[in-house]
Amino acid sequence: MSDYKFIGKDIPRVDGPVKATGKAIYTVDIKLPGMLYGKILRSPYPHARILNIDTSEAEKLPGVQAVITGEDLREVRYAFVDTPRYPADEQPLAVNKVRYIGDEVAVVAADNEAIAEKALTLIKVDYEILPAVFTAEEAMEADAPVIHDEQLEGTSAWEDWGVAQKKQSHESEVKISNLSGHTAVSFGNVEQGFLESDYIREDRFELKATAHCQMEPHAAVASYDPVTQKLHVWLSTMGIFLKRYFLSKTLNLPASKIRVHHTYVGGAFGGKIDLFPYEFCAAYLSIKLGRPVKIELDREEVFMTTRQRHPIIVKIKSGVKKDGTILAQDIKVIADNGAYRGSGPVVIFLCHGFSFPIYNVPNYRYEGFSIYTNNGIRGPQRGHGAPQIRFSIDSHLDLIARDIGLDLVEMMFKNVRHKGDILPNGDRLNSCGLTEGLQGAAKAIDWKNKRRQFKTETENSRYKRGAGISLCSMFSGAMYYPFASAAIVKLHDDGSATLFTGAQDIGQGSYTTLSQVLAEELGIDMEDIHVVAGDTDLCPIDLGSFLSATALVTGNAVKLAAADAKRQLLECAAEILGVDNIEDLETCSKKIFLKKEPQKSIHFSQAIQASVFKRDGNPIIGRGSYKGYPETDRYPSLAKGKGLFTGAYGFAVQAAEVEVDTLTGKVNLLKAVTYHDCGYPLNKNIVEGQVHGCVSMGAGQALSEEVFLEKGQLFNPSFLTYKLPISLDTPESVEGLVATIEPSGPFGAKEVGEGSVAGILGAIGNAVHDAIGVRIKGLPITPEKVLRALGKI
Amino acid sequence: MNKMIELKLNGETRKIYVNDNQTLLEVLREDLGLTGTKKGCNQGECGACTVLLEGKPVSSCLILAVKVNGKSIMTIEGVAEEGHLHPIQEVFNEKGAIQCGFCTPGMILVTKDLLDKNPRPTFKEIKDAISGNICRCTGYIKIIEAIQSLAER
Repeated sequence: MSDYKFIGKDIPRVDGPVKATGKAIYTVDIKLPGMLYGKILRSPYPHARILNIDTSEAEKLPGVQAVITGEDLREVRYAFVDTPRYPADEQPLAVNKVRYIGDEVAVVAADNEAIAEKALTLIKVDYEILPAVFTAEEAMEADAPVIHDEQLEGTSAWEDWGVAQKKQSHESEVKISNLSGHTAVSFGNVEQGFLESDYIREDRFELKATAHCQMEPHAAVASYDPVTQKLHVWLSTMGIFLKRYFLSKTLNLPASKIRVHHTYVGGAFGGKIDLFPYEFCAAYLSIKLGRPVKIELDREEVFMTTRQRHPIIVKIKSGVKKDGTILAQDIKVIADNGAYRGSGPVVIFLCHGFSFPIYNVPNYRYEGFSIYTNNGIRGPQRGHGAPQIRFSIDSHLDLIARDIGLDLVEMMFKNVRHKGDILPNGDRLNSCGLTEGLQGAAKAIDWKNKRRQFKTETENSRYKRGAGISLCSMFSGAMYYPFASAAIVKLHDDGSATLFTGAQDIGQGSYTTLSQVLAEELGIDMEDIHVVAGDTDLCPIDLGSFLSATALVTGNAVKLAAADAKRQLLECAAEILGVDNIEDLETCSKKIFLKKEPQKSIHFSQAIQASVFKRDGNPIIGRGSYKGYPETDRYPSLAKGKGLFTGAYGFAVQAAEVEVDTLTGKVNLLKAVTYHDCGYPLNKNIVEGQVHGCVSMGAGQALSEEVFLEKGQLFNPSFLTYKLPISLDTPESVEGLVATIEPSGPFGAKEVGEGSVAGILGAIGNAVHDAIGVRIKGLPITPEKVLRALGKI
Repeated sequence: MNKMIELKLNGETRKIYVNDNQTLLEVLREDLGLTGTKKGCNQGECGACTVLLEGKPVSSCLILAVKVNGKSIMTIEGVAEEGHLHPIQEVFNEKGAIQCGFCTPGMILVTKDLLDKNPRPTFKEIKDAISGNICRCTGYIKIIEAIQSLAER
């Protein structure tokens, strides 16, 4: 392992210089000749019927080129989840009804933004206000207002791709108002497990909606060429092929007539994967007008109308033996997905998917409900369900450990899964560093001593200190459109290479880590690699930078493409060097040499020339591909939790030390420890950067971040009022890498970008309890909640 | 375009026409094509649009272009000299202080201001200096480490 020349090395980002000099072009920076600007008219009401829309005055305004409303797009439907059971329920512009404050009603395209904004004020919309509902539990009641009463046809978005699930009854067996998704999974015998338990406890936890806060606002530029009938789009996105698919379906254009062009992405964190109305409308208007159209959301629109993390209620009942062994667990999850389904059925599935890989619970029952409300739409956000479920389960476990007088870490050791375990759905843990991670994190936080020490040291102080710990897991890719990633390695005359990948660097460093994989496998240096990425015409398919798929899935594709190019090189070199078996050859720094006689070598360029001359002009192009999960052709059932989920789980063990000011209620995160099992780290610097980002986001969500909604109205749509961490909140950070080897990963690598956002929440929650002796079961743990818990207000 | 202003932009004297209601950010990005200055919130809260005005970091989205008449402005495009990365840019990249890169121009300019005035800042002074610039990717740790390593040079 230590023999690697590039893998595991702290190689600086390949896109660092272009970003450091301000030359990196993001979607918001794109400006095309003749470009028009779009602005969106949004609903001021959480639930209302549209009686009439009069756009005539707006259309008369000089400089206005087009005004479109839902009437123009009645048939267009799409959604992140689009299956026979869960038909697409979103439309680019509201038809008949608006369902949340911010719902898109009309779009104006004009010569400049000022004219477009002025035109919005001239559109007259008559609404009939309808009763609305704002919490999931209220929306589930029998007499709650019905948010979706339209009859939707259930087809699968991917049917024409040969991956349709078996036709089944679309009727949900569960009769609950405003139900958008239902997941039910069980194994073992839960009732029997409870009967055999020595101790049973039930808890309820509640987590609020949070915002992604990507620094680059959402934007789209579309340019349709009526002559070639080709649509060019620039999108700030995580998955270019998924976006192309959505656009192709909704615009009724062949996929090859849509080209998504590369731009840098100013942060995504899960919030730039759904198709958004502004993207569709920019494309639609560009086709309609034959001119480029740009729609850029302002910061308030980003907060209100893109996506938020699901506010979730988790109810857990667990039965344990005296020694802390978990015998039975019954979990109920209720997620508020807002006015449209968004990723509701996915998040309730993932709350199961990220819960069951951690502890070996023999008797388990899980039920999740996603519910429509008249709030903004909720979608994937870093960890997607993991923060909510991991906070709840590990807070609950800490309470049980306290109740029965056990040490939480000991209890975790007793229950965690191990390498080689097969999960109830059939997924196998070919690598699992939970035990090593627990050892490392407990040591790094000085678990036993610190906890006692804090008690005595701070007994008479206003400031109380505590320590806590929690665990988490995350997929490394899964089966989702386009179900695989591929890569092409093109060699040049001088032996350098261009890597073509459809993966998108959203800040996580994939262009760098993928280049490292290529350099290592092929035997060239980092400066010999040029990355062409994020372009649907130039690059082969890619799952996209979500589901934490890039390192493992795209990484494997790149490794295979490099190996393919290398094989071709070696075959040519073998002839030149008079070697019978290419196994006797090795490459390094663009040279091919005999393993036994390294002085006998030729340069890559000689082998490439030989290939051109002797193999029908073949200039050497390597190709590789890897499925989202090679062992299956299906995506897992969201409703039943059946099927294989992921080829490799990343794990993290996280610990926190906090100081609570009992006078003000403010919690200060002093130290954050993360032991992440990301398999073999491709680039330690980049892995640490991912962990730091996760910890910061998790700490924000644990202590201060909350989207404040009052009757559907967002009260804090700005960085001044939405309290995300700033530099002054930075804790001391300790990262330990549990370097396991994931056998299916490229050079042993797997997920790192998402998991460790989740464990820090439970670690902080448990640390606060440790400090003040009272449990706070809702996040964020604000000063007000602390003071209430202490009985001070 | 009803007012002409003269400014020293990245060391070069420029005369440009601006509207009364245009912010400095708009003029830089839209009229001059200097898109390295980023628009993150357009309300003075994120720091992505930071430029140095007379050597001092300001949010260019909060300043009307007409107000900078006769002043000097440095944007991220003016930091690297003669094709060579500035040491701050080099170290930010080496230390992993850059991820998505959207806050990077603002962070680098704030760092430049800090180190120009105080070449040996303390840990606290570094945290204070960048506290007006939001970064969602790095948790600030590698940015702070990068600035510390520059301070130690």
